[in-house]
Amino acid sequence: MQHRVGAVSLDVNFALTQPWTVLFGPSGSGKTTVLRAIAGFVRPDAGRIEFATEVFFDSSARVFVPAHRRAVRTAGQMARLFPHMNVMSNIIFGIGWNSKPHDARDIAEQVMESLHLNDLRNRMPRDLSGGERQRTAVARALVSAITFNFNRTERPLLLLDEPLSGLDVGTRDEMVIELKQWTARWKIPVLSVTHDLGEAFQLEAEVVKIADGRVVKQGPVDEVLTEERSRLLKQLGG
Amino acid sequence: MDIQALWLTLRLAASTTAILLVIALPLAWWIASGRGVARALVQAVVALPLVLPPTVLGFYLLVAMGPLTAPGRLLMRVFGHPLAFSFEGLLVGSVLYSLPFAVQPLVAGFKAVDAGYVEAAEGLGVRPFAVFLSVVLPLARASLLTSAVLTFTHTVGEFGVVLMLGGNIPGATRTLSISLYDQVQDFNYAAANRTALLLLAISLAALLVIYLVPGLRRVDGRQADIVQ
Repeated sequence: MQHRVGAVSLDVNFALTQPWTVLFGPSGSGKTTVLRAIAGFVRPDAGRIEFATEVFFDSSARVFVPAHRRAVRTAGQMARLFPHMNVMSNIIFGIGWNSKPHDARDIAEQVMESLHLNDLRNRMPRDLSGGERQRTAVARALVSAITFNFNRTERPLLLLDEPLSGLDVGTRDEMVIELKQWTARWKIPVLSVTHDLGEAFQLEAEVVKIADGRVVKQGPVDEVLTEERSRLLKQLGG
Repeated sequence: MDIQALWLTLRLAASTTAILLVIALPLAWWIASGRGVARALVQAVVALPLVLPPTVLGFYLLVAMGPLTAPGRLLMRVFGHPLAFSFEGLLVGSVLYSLPFAVQPLVAGFKAVDAGYVEAAEGLGVRPFAVFLSVVLPLARASLLTSAVLTFTHTVGEFGVVLMLGGNIPGATRTLSISLYDQVQDFNYAAANRTALLLLAISLAALLVIYLVPGLRRVDGRQADIVQ
């Protein structure tokens, strides 16, 4: 996929091979733009984006599937909770727009329980802390992904753009564990973005390292981010 | 007090507001959701009644609705009578004359809704029409109220178009503002005073509705997602 946005010229080519893939790179490297292109919020200048058997974008064939019709569910850097709906309404907002499973509400309840959102269910977004909003936004995307299709064979790609960045380390670690369990249980592939080394290692995911709009390396986190980890440990005096 | 004129005026204003909201909602959403020459042109045409003398609009409508034009002949066939000098004709004129008052607050309201909410909804697989109904419209509801109130009030107060297009037929086209004009012409200043006061009260009450409902603005898209 090639795309130019501002001073950044993107030219990336990668495939998701593992259940959870992390796009890792410094700020301004183009990670978010890649995610937005996969979600359908950005039309790349050229290239091809496909998921499972579906082509989302193909510049040569002039294919561009609009965001709402892609088998993709997203949670962004900003929580973007709908301000006129309480936490519960936000979380069930994305339930089954393709086909509504009978147990969709049960799933929403379970996700809320595991992400400790039960006590907040009737609160409005303006009454939540930044971290609570982030957690709600992740829960909303997760519930929407789980309830994507009733036949339970087709699964959407869950795109998470640094949704845990505003959380304290303890909550983040807990969220990562819960998210990994939920996505593994429902076989939902995840592509997340982070510039947080700790998060990348905790996820034990496949890492696609991006710098200046190019894929530098792809592989298991231990291989791809060894250099960064050594540098961090040196800084810490380890 | 000309009760017949009051009833006619309220009926005209309510009908105009209802029709205009149906037209203005999709039109304003289309204008607000992009740029380009076509949108600029439509916006200019929509805004024309703001700067055009009402008599000019009334004159053109009078001609267009008459038997000399094809649309006029078609309307005559549909309604069975000429639209000019009838309530239906007045309604057409009011809809066109109040169009900017319905469309412009909505365009401003829709543009103020953070596009991030639309993306968030689309990223959950929600279709654009459902996004509009369940996200955009509730976030722009203060603008919807403003649009409805301004349209209603502006229709209550219109004079030039009504006079050109409707004449002065009691029960059919004589609105409050025409009635006031008649009362002054007849030197019936006591009645004119009452009519003028009523029009003033309607306008003031309508504007108070807009300024007295801050609760509507609290969840407006402009202020949403602010970390407290």
